Amino acid sequence: MMGYCQAAEVLPPRLRRAALELSDEEQAGAEELRLRTGLPMSAVFPQGERCLGGPPVEPRELEQLVELASRASLHAVLDQVRRGYLTIRGGHRLGLCGTAVVREGQIHSLSRLSSADLRIARQVRGAADPVLDSLCPGGRLTDTLILAPPGLGKTTLLRDLVRQVSDGTGTAPLRVSLADERGEVAAMYNGVAQLAVGARTDVMEGCPKAQGLMLLLRAMNPQVLAVDEITAPEDAAALETAAGCGVTLLATAHGRDRGDLVRRPLYRPLLEGGLFRRLVTIRQRDRERIYEVEELN
Amino acid sequence: MIRLLGGTLVAAGAAWMGFRASAALKARARALGEMGEGLALLEQELELDSPPMPLLMDRLILRSRGPAKKLFQDCGRALDRLSEEEFSLAWRRLAGELEELGEEGRQALMPLGEVLGRCSCREERQGVEGVRRRLETLRDRTEEEYRRQGRVYQTLGLSGGAFLVILLM
Repeated sequence: MMGYCQAAEVLPPRLRRAALELSDEEQAGAEELRLRTGLPMSAVFPQGERCLGGPPVEPRELEQLVELASRASLHAVLDQVRRGYLTIRGGHRLGLCGTAVVREGQIHSLSRLSSADLRIARQVRGAADPVLDSLCPGGRLTDTLILAPPGLGKTTLLRDLVRQVSDGTGTAPLRVSLADERGEVAAMYNGVAQLAVGARTDVMEGCPKAQGLMLLLRAMNPQVLAVDEITAPEDAAALETAAGCGVTLLATAHGRDRGDLVRRPLYRPLLEGGLFRRLVTIRQRDRERIYEVEELN
Repeated sequence: MIRLLGGTLVAAGAAWMGFRASAALKARARALGEMGEGLALLEQELELDSPPMPLLMDRLILRSRGPAKKLFQDCGRALDRLSEEEFSLAWRRLAGELEELGEEGRQALMPLGEVLGRCSCREERQGVEGVRRRLETLRDRTEEEYRRQGRVYQTLGLSGGAFLVILLM
């Protein structure tokens, strides 16, 4: 609920009052607040989206939302806005939609904002507990790939795993370097991680993963390299290089099961090269998440 | 004796008015110069690493002086009340309170609020540069006016005072 109130602080006054009128229970369950011009604000709960009523959202209120979220510093967050979102204090994320201003083939900024999605960040401390022992046999962390379809909690699991090994839970405390290209794992805000990633974690944010991994390897002398979502051959190549330097790898990838990895040319070399020794797959049964740890090689 | 005292007071008053008019021109030129320096610092900081506005204001407060320092301090406080007053409106209001810049100086500064914090760093720098150049032109003009008119005001004050004394005595 505290996270909800913190996220609601960036809303323009009228919308903030409406958002805070939800009951404590509703605030605790709300995942997103959605603002679309010409329509009343709505909230997304696990059960679905619900209109909160009241007057429709005005274009000016969306502009005010961006000003409040960026603290009148659009110039400092323009790179994020170009990617369609900006991270705010607390690790909450404001997604934006509008008319893209394109210059020389690149998105320069967004104008005439039409909708916004305020996603409330909630850290799940202990999310890695069910798998931690299996990933640290004999108190030593093994190279691990986390695999799941979107929305099942890969990033949440990676974040908590990073936090726990960095703080020395289940293993000796380790120096972790995290390549957080999209800022989803640590949610850096003004240089401070808004979500706990451990006391010995260094975060490289906003940098393409492959370059970020190499920079971290050279600059931060990590014992563990963590990266969210391997999506390009360069990412896989960077991981191969890192593995050759004796660093333990933690990574996530989109997929349902080991068969997916074998089928996809992007992931096949990672398996064949023996980069990872453990594979964690996440599945959902009813509303419960099930983690399966598989030994590779 | 009283007439002499009265005459002296009248002469001193008229001279003071002349000197005051001259000093006001000098003070305005100095204030415009300090504001221009403040905007030059703002350009530099934006060029350096385009920090978020609160950090930007903190840095500028430390290095600026006169009306620029006051404006940056007030803007820093305004950033904590964004939900009550938009930054562009706060800037306009606060710039409008800088009496020492003169009407033209204030009018030149006010529109900058529409640019700061609302567009890319490059566009902001262009906007700031434009206003800084305008303020520098105003400063040069005011300095020239001070050189030309300042002595005139002082002389007028002194001679007006002397004239009044002669007239009264």
